[in-house]
Amino acid sequence: MNPIAEIVAKKEVIVCAGSGGVGKTTTAAAIALEAAIQGKKAAVLTIDPARRLASSLGLKELSGEPTRVSTRKFTSASIEAKGELHALMLDTKSTFDKVVMRYAPSPQQAEKIINNRFYRNISGTLSGTQEYMAMEKLYELHADGGFDLLVIDTPPTRNALDFLDAPKRMTDFFESRVLRWFLMPYMKAGGGVMRVANVAARTFLKVVKRIVGTEVLEDTAEFFGNLEGMYEGFKQRARDVAALLQSDSTAFVVVTSPAEDAVNEATFFAARLNESRLPFGALVVNRVHPNLGEPIDVKPRQLSKLEAGGKDAKLLAKLLDNENAFMRVVRLEERNLDQLARRVPRHRWVRVPYLEREAVDFPGLVSISAHLFGTDRQS
Amino acid sequence: MRVDEFLEPRVLIVSGKGGVGKTTVAAALALVAARRGRTVCLAEVDRKGSLPKLFDAPGLGYDPKEMSPGVWGMNIVPEAALAEYLEVQYHMRRISKAFSSTHFVDYITTAAPGLKDILVLGKIWYLEQGRDSGGGQPHFDTIVVDAPAAGHMLSFLSAPMGLSDALQIGPVRRQSDWLIGMLRDPERTRVHLVTLPEEMPVSETLETAEALRTKVGIDTGAVFANAVYSKLFTPAESKRVGELLNGRLDNGAAGTLPVKTLPTTTLMTEAKAVGLDLDSDDIDAVLGYARFLEARRAIQASHLKKLKHGVADPVIELPFLFSAGLALPDIETLADGIETEIEEI
Repeated sequence: MNPIAEIVAKKEVIVCAGSGGVGKTTTAAAIALEAAIQGKKAAVLTIDPARRLASSLGLKELSGEPTRVSTRKFTSASIEAKGELHALMLDTKSTFDKVVMRYAPSPQQAEKIINNRFYRNISGTLSGTQEYMAMEKLYELHADGGFDLLVIDTPPTRNALDFLDAPKRMTDFFESRVLRWFLMPYMKAGGGVMRVANVAARTFLKVVKRIVGTEVLEDTAEFFGNLEGMYEGFKQRARDVAALLQSDSTAFVVVTSPAEDAVNEATFFAARLNESRLPFGALVVNRVHPNLGEPIDVKPRQLSKLEAGGKDAKLLAKLLDNENAFMRVVRLEERNLDQLARRVPRHRWVRVPYLEREAVDFPGLVSISAHLFGTDRQS
Repeated sequence: MRVDEFLEPRVLIVSGKGGVGKTTVAAALALVAARRGRTVCLAEVDRKGSLPKLFDAPGLGYDPKEMSPGVWGMNIVPEAALAEYLEVQYHMRRISKAFSSTHFVDYITTAAPGLKDILVLGKIWYLEQGRDSGGGQPHFDTIVVDAPAAGHMLSFLSAPMGLSDALQIGPVRRQSDWLIGMLRDPERTRVHLVTLPEEMPVSETLETAEALRTKVGIDTGAVFANAVYSKLFTPAESKRVGELLNGRLDNGAAGTLPVKTLPTTTLMTEAKAVGLDLDSDDIDAVLGYARFLEARRAIQASHLKKLKHGVADPVIELPFLFSAGLALPDIETLADGIETEIEEI
């Protein structure tokens, strides 16, 4: 059975991961699309604004809540969808706000945190926030139970592994002793400003203050002060998210291209999934050059004779040259992919070749689905 | 344009969406500069580690190391830049080292977004000014920066403006003004964007170029369109390929040959004449790749058109390299391409 079809049939959550530019978003959307055709109520959650995806789904833009793709989209492509396709985009800020509201001991304290400047900066700048919130939103959607299948693409991190550690990194960040130690003079605990005994720290703070200003430090201290007592909630949630990702309901789809960097990343990622006991589902190799057979052995002498010949002979010389160049790429791509075969058995692979048309519209997306699932609906 | 003119600004910042090959282009630009006798510092910023691999060199640290003749590689780590800054400004190197092992820089940079970027830009400014922390590195004529991916690019380059707005006076205000001066001066700094002739990378490049100009006040220098399939067929040959693919020869009123017969017989006959035996699978393969090339070229052409229409800057097309794993010889090929293309601007 085709590995993608298999996990779509069995799983509730599919996480697409891989390095930047390998087609994660398109892959995620194409999987959800096929699931909808087969009768599932499916949603694709993207991390990027993905305007092109929105327009190819006939949506003006993706919002932070699921929007249903019109059935007309399917009928206009002569397809009957037995289920539903929904799409949404991660709204980091509003997801984070919800988390704060859930764990704050009082609405007043939640409001204080949400209005804090340091907090407002976090969503944009702190590494890992987006990843953390992506997992949070996924968990929320899954817990709500409104969908049969959730397909999510992962943030365009420098490193595809980053998001796996995100929840832990965030909770570590909030809990750091070092930070509290530094901010102590600004934390109005027990009234009055505490003295920093350490001379080095005092000097350092003076410098930091000069660079970023007192306000920034006060905002930071206020934020962490208000966060007191919420850590346990955060940590519990991080554990719940981890449990969902490790459960039988989830499958990871590793997306790659045959380029060396992407393959290296995918190989590491597959290994990491294994170590973290996260369920691997399938490997998608996008943008593969078509393999049209064995390289033709042409002697230079034969080639130069053709080049000196008539129109069709000259053309044949170019055709053979071109075939040779592409076969070289195909072989190099295979060599890159071979290292992945040691990690992921080939029967878990799905290859999506470079198509002669782009997946820029709905029919394009449908043809990607067909390749992913090994169906020939669009051929 | 003369290549030397292109290399006139000391700081060349190369950026683009992930996966478009900006590291490769940055490396090729560095080679172009080194070929002209310049001493080049090729700096990566986000610790990807793919630069040293291209040069088959060991991993890079904060201190520049020569990776190939005239090309020195380094990794601008914000923590190390902070340590250096504190050392130079406040003579606090020892204590700052203690913080780099903790999340401290993370906290402070979260509290004051953009600080990390300013530390990195500050280091670039240091290099541009020909200063160093005394490690005995050479004087760099050209500094090529393999910058963060385009999304982060805008905040990266506009960080000093934010800081300048926030601070009215003081040494830090003065220093961030120095950075702005460097970035906004086209004689000192040029930002080059890298893209692929594909839908999404092109739209993002157009947006980035526009935002850089209007929001950050920086004009881009050139846009590198990477991995462009070279033209192979003359128009007449393209037409002939089409005929062969259709398996039909337009003989006017005389009618057509049966489907499939034409390509097989024509090309097999030509091959046989030079002692080459081709079977029908071979014919399918050579024609299939020709069709693939033409189809991809047509897609690329439409995106290149959109790109050229959308940016005022010259678009430098770099050839698709028929090799999947890039190494130094490939970078040399790209450097050749860059030289030729620049001269045609």
